[in-house]
Order: sequence, then C-alpha cells, then structure tokens
Amino acid sequence: MSESLIVLKNLSKKFGKKVAADRISMAIRAGEIFGFLGANGAGKTTTIRMLCGLTKPTFGKGTIGGRDVWRERFAIRSQFGYVPQRFSLYPDLTVNENLRFFCGAYKVPRSKVKDRIAKVLCDMDLELRGTERAGSLSGGYKQLLAIACALTHEPALLFLDEPTAGLDPTHRQQIWDLLYELSQNRTTIFVTTHYMDEAERCTDVGFVDQGRLIAKGSPRALKESLTGHLLEVQIEPAMPALFQLRKLPGIYGVDLRSGNLRLHAKDPYALLREWQSHWPFPDLRFFGFNWVEPDMEDVFRAYSQGYHQTDSLTEETVGAGPGR
Amino acid sequence: MISWSAILTIAYKEFIHVWRDRRVMILLVVLPPFFTFLFGHAFEGTSLRDVPAMYFDADNSKESREFLDRVKAKDTFLWKAWRGDPNGQIDLFRVGVQAAIVIPEGWGDGLRNGEPLPIRLVLDGTDTNTAPSVQGVLQEVLGDYQSSRRDNLIENLPDEIIDLGKNLPREIRHEFSSMMTPWEIKAETLYNPKLLFIDYVVPGIVGLILQLLTVTLIASAITREREVGTLSQLLVTPLRHSEVVIGKVLPYLVISMFLIASTIAVGNLHFGVKFHEPVLLTITCFLFLLFSLGLGLLISAFSRTQTQAIQISVFFLLPVFLLSGAFAPLEQLPRAVRICSELFPLTHFCRAFRSVNLYNADVGYIAGDLLFLAIGSVLTCAGAAYLLRSIED
Repeated sequence: MSESLIVLKNLSKKFGKKVAADRISMAIRAGEIFGFLGANGAGKTTTIRMLCGLTKPTFGKGTIGGRDVWRERFAIRSQFGYVPQRFSLYPDLTVNENLRFFCGAYKVPRSKVKDRIAKVLCDMDLELRGTERAGSLSGGYKQLLAIACALTHEPALLFLDEPTAGLDPTHRQQIWDLLYELSQNRTTIFVTTHYMDEAERCTDVGFVDQGRLIAKGSPRALKESLTGHLLEVQIEPAMPALFQLRKLPGIYGVDLRSGNLRLHAKDPYALLREWQSHWPFPDLRFFGFNWVEPDMEDVFRAYSQGYHQTDSLTEETVGAGPGR
Repeated sequence: MISWSAILTIAYKEFIHVWRDRRVMILLVVLPPFFTFLFGHAFEGTSLRDVPAMYFDADNSKESREFLDRVKAKDTFLWKAWRGDPNGQIDLFRVGVQAAIVIPEGWGDGLRNGEPLPIRLVLDGTDTNTAPSVQGVLQEVLGDYQSSRRDNLIENLPDEIIDLGKNLPREIRHEFSSMMTPWEIKAETLYNPKLLFIDYVVPGIVGLILQLLTVTLIASAITREREVGTLSQLLVTPLRHSEVVIGKVLPYLVISMFLIASTIAVGNLHFGVKFHEPVLLTITCFLFLLFSLGLGLLISAFSRTQTQAIQISVFFLLPVFLLSGAFAPLEQLPRAVRICSELFPLTHFCRAFRSVNLYNADVGYIAGDLLFLAIGSVLTCAGAAYLLRSIED
C-alpha cells in the first residue's frame, strides 16, 4: 500500500461563530483520485484552501508529504497545482501568455518552458487556441486552460475545486479522462465536487456535511455499507405516497426515481413485515418492491442523515409484499 | 533569495494589462502633457489682468479724463459701461464687476486749488487677492499722474522763482531737489529673476499629475486580482510576496518615468522652463515615484474592491493636492498644517525639485527630502508585502 501523501488531523476552520471545517481527520494515499464531496457550503472549498496554504486553520493540522500545510506553505507550494472553483486566469492575456506567466510563477526552468507549454497545450486540446485571449474561451476550454496552468510545473499533487461545475457532458468527460491519465502517471488528485455521479469515478471519496467528514472510503465499500437498506416500492398514486411515507418513523428518505419510490429505511425488513400484516395507507395501493443497488447519491443522503450508524439490521428474508 | 526572472514575469504580465487596456493607455499618453499644458497656462502669470470694472466720472474735467486715460492704458481692467446710479453708488455683484472707480465732482478743481478730493474706489472684498492688487495698481497710476503734473508745474515756473531758488542755501536746494525726485528701490531678484511663476509651479504640476496617475493606476493592481480571483492563484504559487510587490511596481515605475519625461518636455518646449542637474532631478523623481507606487500598492492590498481602492486613493490625494505646497509656498500654511503636510511625498518632491532647479542646491541640501522619500518607498512596499501575507491569514 502507498504511503499517505496528505494527512489531516482534526483540521478545523471557524469564521467567527460559523464552523466551516469541523475536526476533519483523514489520510490520502499518493496516486489516488480522491473525491471530496458535499453540498454547497459544506466546507469543501475551505478545506482545500487550508491544504493549499491559502487559509490558516483555526486548529488541527494538515500535512502534505509530511510538511505542515500552513507553517511550511511556502516550501510546499511548488509540489502541487491548484485549480480554484471560479475561473481565475487573466482574461486579457492569451492562452500562451497565461501559460508562460504560470511557468514563471512556478519557477519552471527557462530551458523547459517551451516544451512544458507545448505539452500541456497538447494534453488539454488547446493547441489551436494559443493566441486566443483567455477571456474569450468557452467555459470548458477556460477550465482546461486553468488545469493546464496548474500543471505547468508537473506537480505530484493537483487540487481541483469543483472543476466540472457548469460544464457540458463532453467537457466533463474530457476533464475526467485527463484526471485518469494524470493518476496513471502517479499524480495524486484531490478533487471536490457536488456531482454525486462523479464520486463513482474516484478511487476514494470523502463526504463532508456541515463541515464534518461523515464518511470516507472507496465508492464500492461505501455503497456496500448501504446494501439492504434501500428498496424500490411500487405504490400508486406515487406523489401522495411520497409525502406520506416520508412521515413514517424509521424512514430516512423517499425519492421518486423513474416512476418508482426509492426508500431509505433504518430497518426495511421490519417495515415490510409490518406492511404485510397491516397496510397503513387505505388510499394508496401497494404493488410490490425490489431491493436496489445504492448509488453515491443514496450513500451521501444516507450518511448525511446518520443512516450509517444503523446497527439493527435483520437479515431475515422478507416474503411477498404486504396485503392491502 | 529573490528571483529576478519571477519578478520580470510578473512585471511583463502587469505591463500587458496596461498595454491592452486601450482607454488607460490613451489617458496615460494624453493626460500628462495635456494637464501640464493646461495647468501651466492656468498658473503662467502673476500679473493682474482683465478685472471686470466700471468707472463713473462725475467731474468730467481735463484732469479726470487724463487720469482715466492713464488707468485705461493698463490691461488690469476690463471696462464695462457704468450701470450704477447717477450718484456713484453701485452694487458690484449685481452688475457683474469686481471694482468701480468714482471720480467725484470737483476733483480737477481740487487738484488745482490745493484741496485734492479722494477718488472713490469700490472693491469686491470676497476676492482677497484681487482687491488689494487693484488698489495697488490704481495707487501707482495716481502716483505717476501726480509726478507728471508736478514735473510739468516745475518746468513752467517763472524765471524769477527759479532765480529765487538759486539763492537758497546749497543744502536746502539739494534736499528740495531730492524731494522732487521719486525715491526708488533697486530690486535684485535671485533664482527666478524674471519672476516667472511657471518656473516655480512646474514641479508642483509634474508631481501632482504623477501622484494622481501612479496612485490610482496601481491602486487597482491587487484589488483587481482579488476581484477576478487570480490573487489566490498567484498566492498559491511559490512566488514570494516581495517578488509580487516588486514585479507589480516595476512596470508602473518605468511607465511613470516616461510620463515625467513627457511633462518635463512640455514644460521645457512650450513654457521655456529650464531644468538643471538632470541626475539629481532624476533621482528625486525616481524616489518620489517609488514612494507613490508603494503607497498605491499599500492602498490596493488594504482594499477589498477596486471601488474601495479608488475611493481611498481620492481621499488621500485631496489633502495632498491642497497642502503639499505644489502651487503655493508651504510657509503660507498654519504651522500645525505644515507639520501634517510633511508626511506627504509630494511636499518633499516639490521642495527637493525646486531646491535643485531654482536654487541650484546640491545633494546635501535635499538629502533630508530624499531620505524621507527613500524610507517611505521601503516602508510602503514592505507594508504592501505584509498585507499580502495577511490576506492568507
């Protein structure tokens, strides 16, 4: 197993009384694509800014390659690249000028500048846009240029703060392909996103909610931890059923997906048994159910509601659906 | 260790920002020489000209007409037809003039009879400079007229009186002769012998324009990055804060030196102002620019938005313009205000520049001003670097 490149121990940040990051502890191995997931305002950007040495932690500690992210921030800055959340390049400079500037800022040796620029232009599919002003590029190309600028010094670690936000599927795919390629070449990727489907593409993910890290693991492990808690029920009419089911105790959430109701329950077995003996909704008709594989959205929803702490699962086989 | 390659990278980027902003470029090229031209003409002369005035000759005698002809020969007044009442009363403000001369009836007779009547002069006291100057001009004309009449009187005295005079004791004759001759002051004017106000005011104009342009230009240098979001990108690179500060100041320093050259060229070619000791003047300009740019950068690092930066710059520049001695000697200000004005870089620039250019002062004489500008440059640039660091905190 690789050594941990990034280690966080109780890393916390307060802005006045607001806790933006609350005692986050985790370790990220070198070469991973680590997805840091959470809703807007959950604390993703604050955490990434603390790791980049742009925000001073209130308490706790973070290290990159064993060096403190705040005290030794000037020493470690050449080791990583950072792509911020919003477009943060110089719009009045051309693509080439932006790249040349960041080569200089990252102190790339003069003899290597030309080759580096040529390489990132090629990797990012920007070869034909070198003389265009950065401000005139489309959203997707702007983001590719931002990544290119962060890669000019060939860092071992790349921080990306919501790099695909607002992009079309083609550019999203292009960026993820690029991240895979970088990971293949042993670059560690720390990417924040609020797109749950993107979590599936990471080798490891961490969920952050209200500043707290609520889960961390591989997407597969996290999904497996939820197996047996999720089922799809066919009830008509669906919409009144959605609101009525949400009021039941032991139900963490009910969603409508493809016409069926996806139901997160603390103990679905007990629930189904109860429904078999007594169907509590005389105005609704129950047609059946089936177990479903959780996706990352289910995982996030479950973990953010404390669902992962469930310890009373009964593995008892549940028979046919309840009577009416 | 500071990397000059990194500094040049930032400097080049900053230069491109200015170069690509065509409106700013046009302002930079056009404004300094234009302002020098405009302000130069505004402060070119000290003589009083074209003061709107009226006169009322109630006497209408030979003497009153002769006197008025002498007054009208001066370009001090711009004459308008009398709009006061027939008694010589006038409301200056209502009729739109600043002075009125009323020659009373019987004035000419009074001169002849040995009972001269005073000429009435009505002045607008709200303009504290013009009123006493107008009175001075009229007093001078009246004195000249009196002298000419006296000379005329002596020339036409009968021979018996002349002979009688020759019999007077020698001392009395000489004293009488001295009394009949206007006593003179032979003024010897040093440093600005032609008393050209433009020579005095040019350093003020140059300093004022440069202070305005440099502070406002660079004040948005960091706040713009903050607003666009590039500041985080910049701070996350291995660039040192000192490299960022020097890299940002450098292009503006070079641009400003060109601006100085353009204003000095207008001063020299158009107004004929001579510039001496080019090396010492260049050092003075260089340190002044460095201080101004450091100050602008400090404002920039302190402000959150470009609007804030510009507002702070304007609030800073307003007292500087009025209290730094750019257009009037500092000695005219109250002592407490003078102490405050010593904090402004423009005060030291104007004093050093004038000392060198008008008084041929050597470096020792202006060392205090140069030292102040140098220390100010270092402190403001270091302050900007410190604020950049604190942005991360």
